Amino acid sequence: MTALAWVLAGVGALVLSALAALVLRGRRQNDQLEILLLAADDRLEQLQRQFERFVPADVVERLTRTGDAFTPERRQVTMLFADLRGFTALCDRLDPAVTVNILNDYFRHMTAAIAHHHGHVTEFVGDGLLALFGAMESNPWQARDAVLAAVEMRAALARYNATLREKGLPELRFGVGIHGGEVVAGVIGTAGLSKFSVTGDPINVASRVEGLTSTYQVDLLITEEIRHKVGDQFRLRPMPPARVKGKAEPIQTYYVEPGE
Amino acid sequence: MAVLLSEIQWGDPILPATHDVAWEAELKRRGAQVLEVDRRVAPNRWLREAAYEATNYVPIALSERLHRMGNMVTAQENSCRYCYGANRAYMKVLGYSESFIQQVERDVQTAELDDKERAYIVFCRSLARSRPRPAAAERAALLERGYTPAQIGEIAFAISIGCFYNRVSTLLAVPSEQKFERMASGPFRWVLQLAIPLMKKFGPGRPVQATPDRAALAAGPFGVVVAPLAGLRAGGVMKAALDGAFESGVLSRSVKALMFAVVARTLGCPHCEAAANQLLVEEALSPAEIEGAMATLHCPRLAQREAGLLAWARDTVYYEPSSIQRKTRALGAELGADALLEAIGVASLANGTVRLAMLLE
Repeated sequence: MTALAWVLAGVGALVLSALAALVLRGRRQNDQLEILLLAADDRLEQLQRQFERFVPADVVERLTRTGDAFTPERRQVTMLFADLRGFTALCDRLDPAVTVNILNDYFRHMTAAIAHHHGHVTEFVGDGLLALFGAMESNPWQARDAVLAAVEMRAALARYNATLREKGLPELRFGVGIHGGEVVAGVIGTAGLSKFSVTGDPINVASRVEGLTSTYQVDLLITEEIRHKVGDQFRLRPMPPARVKGKAEPIQTYYVEPGE
Repeated sequence: MAVLLSEIQWGDPILPATHDVAWEAELKRRGAQVLEVDRRVAPNRWLREAAYEATNYVPIALSERLHRMGNMVTAQENSCRYCYGANRAYMKVLGYSESFIQQVERDVQTAELDDKERAYIVFCRSLARSRPRPAAAERAALLERGYTPAQIGEIAFAISIGCFYNRVSTLLAVPSEQKFERMASGPFRWVLQLAIPLMKKFGPGRPVQATPDRAALAAGPFGVVVAPLAGLRAGGVMKAALDGAFESGVLSRSVKALMFAVVARTLGCPHCEAAANQLLVEEALSPAEIEGAMATLHCPRLAQREAGLLAWARDTVYYEPSSIQRKTRALGAELGADALLEAIGVASLANGTVRLAMLLE
């Protein structure tokens, strides 16, 4: 009887030890899985941060967190085109590294001004940029925001030119055109290379208006559509109506005077 | 985007702490802690009461566990260093493991939660973020998961009052409760783990307050938004805050209604914009004046010192903390301390109220 009790106790102890070992093993595996999950989360976050260097942060956020596929939709969007004047000629005279540094600093200042007024830069093309207001989400003040952003860009460029002057580098000049209208917004491109952008006639008009800054030798032009929306918040000077490519009728533009 | 605690950039406090002896004694009498926020909102009567309610509200339809997790993710979504840190520390004191907290704040799908709890966390994040604000479909999804209408009302209230408090803390750049955070993460956490339940059990209890009925809730400013909270003490809390904000004379009633209208338009809430317009009509603003102010964020009828408040109120909807803190500091230079504190309260309350109005969708 005593021997049987010892055997049973021994078996019980073995079973208990085996169970304890199983539980401990399970816990260890669980801990390892948790560590792996957190490491994977870290990697994903790093990837997201890197991704945000190439795509607006809001777009990354919506793509990664909410699974938003950016189904194309018609939206009221205000577009701001900015282009450097005479920069191509400048490039020929400067060291390539200096050229890129100047351009990067210029884009950094301009992007900050645009973001400060609820816009986002959707693309850089050479020395030009396209910023959108109201493309990601409804923005009732998008026209005002775009003009305020352009005015801040003007001030930022003046400050940047002062630093360039101090370094003995040539100063920059830009032309900015702003127009708004209904466009199709969404992720545009191929499976391999795509971007969040807009398409439609208003974007062509905005680009042409930016081109008119060169014709009129001014730095900041808006269209009648934008003037109508911003009312008397800015000091505007009407420019002569101009014919532009792709439009049957001449378009009316306004110069945004400095000092606002 | 939802950031982690260490990633939030936070400025220096915008307003100094004031030691209002009578108010601090009153808070202690009610069994509440005197927090850094309390010390900064003390000069404003309605705001200090609303801030007290925001941190001491005890839900009746929602479990403590859900309430805590909801508070933390709401603060995280609003990038509020102060509230996020305090809520995170409080969860540790309540016994939640670091790994569980990390899972909730990083990816709710990996956390040990059931589907109903996960749906709750997703909803908290969505309403706090409001890009866009959740609507009928999200409410229906919660009903489908088994939440009752009363629970959904209390959830929406908790997130909305959280958004209010997060903004008060952020716009004031309130310094974190460092001692509490350190103690909650340190080896003496067990002291707090023992002390807090005991304080709750044996500390001075708060007086039982009546829950106003639907008609009473619907009577004041933005009554239409508060009315769905009938039957919950939350309704009384929101009504007291809204009545207090609009009765206070530190800023004009017109600018306060316009600030609400601006936040409503930014978040796309026609109910709140209509309620704000009604208040503006009572202040003798014409429809053209209202629309002009809304289109340009400028209203010639306002006093000079109030001119910048509409554009600033709009910026309090979506922001990066250090950026809005810079703007708020600049605004304070024009307004002075009392008016700035009132403006912070009004803008924060507008953000909370418009989020709560999702119950009307």
